[in-house]
Amino acid sequence: MAERRLTVLVGGVLLWAAAIFYNLVKLQVVHHREYAAMARARQEMVVDIPAPRGSIFDRTGSPLAMSVPVDTVHINPRKVDPVIAAGILSAKLHQDKNELYQRIVAARDNRRGYLVVARNLSWEEGDSLSHLPVDGIELDRQSQRHYPKGMLAAHVLGTVNFDGKGDAGVEQTLDQYLRGTPGKERVLTDVQHRGIDTEIAVAPKPGVAVTLTIDERLQFVAERELAEAVAAHGAASGSLVVMNPHTGEILALASYPTYDPNAPPEAANPPQRENHATSVPFEPGSVFKVITLSAALETTRLRPESIIDCGRGAITLFGRTIHEAHGGFGALPMAQVLSRSSNVGAIRIGMTVGQQNMYEYMRRFGFGQKTGVPLPGEARGRLRPLSKWSKVSLASVSMGQEVSVTTVQLAQAASVVANGGLLVRPRLVLKIGDQVVNSDPPVRVVRPETAITMRQMMEGVVMPGGTGYPEARLEGYSVGGKTGSAQIYDPASRHYTHNYNGSFMGFAPLTNPAIVVVATLNGTHGNLGYGGRAAAPVFHAVAQEALRVLDIPKDLPEQAPVELAAAKQAPGDLAIAELGSLEPNILEEEGDEDGDVPPAAAGPKVPDFRGKSMRAVLAQAASMGLTVLPDGSGIARVQFPPAGAALRQGERIRVRFAR
Amino acid sequence: MATQPTYAYGTGFGTTGGPPRTVRHPFELRALPYESVFFYRKAVDNSRLVREADPKSRGACWSAIGAAGLLVALLFGVLAPSVADTLSGYKLQSLRAEERRLLDERRTLELAVAERLSPEHLARLADRQNLVTPKSGQVQRLDGDRPDASVAMVK
Repeated sequence: MAERRLTVLVGGVLLWAAAIFYNLVKLQVVHHREYAAMARARQEMVVDIPAPRGSIFDRTGSPLAMSVPVDTVHINPRKVDPVIAAGILSAKLHQDKNELYQRIVAARDNRRGYLVVARNLSWEEGDSLSHLPVDGIELDRQSQRHYPKGMLAAHVLGTVNFDGKGDAGVEQTLDQYLRGTPGKERVLTDVQHRGIDTEIAVAPKPGVAVTLTIDERLQFVAERELAEAVAAHGAASGSLVVMNPHTGEILALASYPTYDPNAPPEAANPPQRENHATSVPFEPGSVFKVITLSAALETTRLRPESIIDCGRGAITLFGRTIHEAHGGFGALPMAQVLSRSSNVGAIRIGMTVGQQNMYEYMRRFGFGQKTGVPLPGEARGRLRPLSKWSKVSLASVSMGQEVSVTTVQLAQAASVVANGGLLVRPRLVLKIGDQVVNSDPPVRVVRPETAITMRQMMEGVVMPGGTGYPEARLEGYSVGGKTGSAQIYDPASRHYTHNYNGSFMGFAPLTNPAIVVVATLNGTHGNLGYGGRAAAPVFHAVAQEALRVLDIPKDLPEQAPVELAAAKQAPGDLAIAELGSLEPNILEEEGDEDGDVPPAAAGPKVPDFRGKSMRAVLAQAASMGLTVLPDGSGIARVQFPPAGAALRQGERIRVRFAR
Repeated sequence: MATQPTYAYGTGFGTTGGPPRTVRHPFELRALPYESVFFYRKAVDNSRLVREADPKSRGACWSAIGAAGLLVALLFGVLAPSVADTLSGYKLQSLRAEERRLLDERRTLELAVAERLSPEHLARLADRQNLVTPKSGQVQRLDGDRPDASVAMVK
């Protein structure tokens, strides 16, 4: 009896042990993964480690773009009690309770399990919601791009899309550096979801900060002046570039119309987002004469004082007659062909240069090719290959027709003259992280003496009689520049219209230029829409402020000489003669802003030193109170300014002597 | 000396039976329970009883105490790091959360500062107070070109 009971007991114990073993195997082996996953789900939390997108700074270290974490609150309408959720959230988020209730109920009725209640919560709102004891209400933390300066440098900075990827500006071109990759960490939690231990599953990769060459103070002034000029002249758009001619650093790059990068775009490709400084080429008009004359100085015997026959305002080429934009000139020194912007004179000079040389120098100055500025959609402009030039192409390009350029290309070309003849590629990025971004080495384009001569000739543009006078003159600084106005071609009617691309490119101070400023207004009208009247004032305002901000020493007395002040008041500055006919022939399309102002009474006239000995020249100059810079020995052969020209205060006469 | 309680019911009744049931008047008060029980004590002299000395039990007792102490120490030694680790984990997580919160807050504040220092905002403030841009050369930096150099205004 006892044995039987013992057997039964042992059997029961064994069965019990077997049952336990079976369950152990089932738990630990068969369903191991399932239960392990369940345990992890309860005990582990995967948390994103934020890796914010790299900030963008201007050259002074002021932030232009930065990423800030923001919270989005969302609920599961099928889990929450609509009354409770609406009550809590409306109180925390200052929303209308009834409206929120209706939204939650509607979402629940539509069997939706996800409803975003509010995005971009403030810090206080997010903090107050993070400790809510209600299931179904959750916060989602995301990094949002902010542009604290609003519209400032919008075309340079660009924007990011909903995925946090750059889709314009340097946000797009430097996306690989700026973009951060968030990491993940596993947090072991207790029953109350308090973290106990962490393990980094994916290491975060923060975005790298980028420092631009832009100076926000100059950028602001550039955008303000450009917007005011566009509005004042009824233009459609405009662009402006401020550049350091020695380093190629772009100090300001403005395009109008502009936009707020903080606001999502209303359309797919709104016109406001078009960067007119880099992406929209235009026919430059007379500013291109700088290239023509530079090529002439390099490849021909023409000198500033060389007399050019301007044909009394007309020239006939291959059966077509090209008129001067204004009245007409007889014979002009080459320097005055530039300062008065004679189309006929420029054509004659271009004919002397020749097609091959002209094309080569256009390429050397960087036209027809991208500047390499790191902005998306940069246009290379249009420069026909030499094989496609027609008989009249040389004449056209000599005065800035049959070629299209961008404002940043013009700034690059003006820098060649300003820095002594080197082509320096524009730079927009100063540093990526702590690494300074090196630029391409400069390339010699013209000889230094050619560049200096061009500078002096370009100074004439802002002197009385020049097309940029008096708008482009600066108080306390010598200036060189060139105006340009090109009629806008209407492809629909295949005619040139009476709307203009008015532009001005210039630099200051003349002796050692610190800045190059190129301003372009597209779609101006009437006499006041020419470059000297519409764009030169923009140059004046921006350059004056830039020189002040950059603390550039003055090289002229602040008060303008009396003669210059009187000339400023002279009538007829804005008088523009009739334009060329509206035939579709590009050669007959002239549109220059040149004023037909006679040279205003300025300083003393320059005597004719040619043929005299150095002793005689110095004695004559001393008796007249003039300063002469002699060069060489023997008999005076060449002088600049030419004989008869009016001297401005402080100007010296260069005289070259030879035997 | 101990006392041994002894209790007995009142005289007149034997120990083999309980008190007789009597018919009580309905208005008669009910008797207290066991009001008939009374105590008396009897002195017992146990001073001659002496506990026998047992040195082994004393040793065993100390051994047990030592073993228990060792066990506790071992347990403490094994568990303490784990507990400390857990507590440190709580603290670490709390500090990490605090660090992130402060970093986020700092970025938010930096954004606010950048907005306040935008040229447009400053220009608006300057306009409101009738301030104008100084002319070129009017502001002199006293400590060279440092950005934080002191400045002087030339009137």
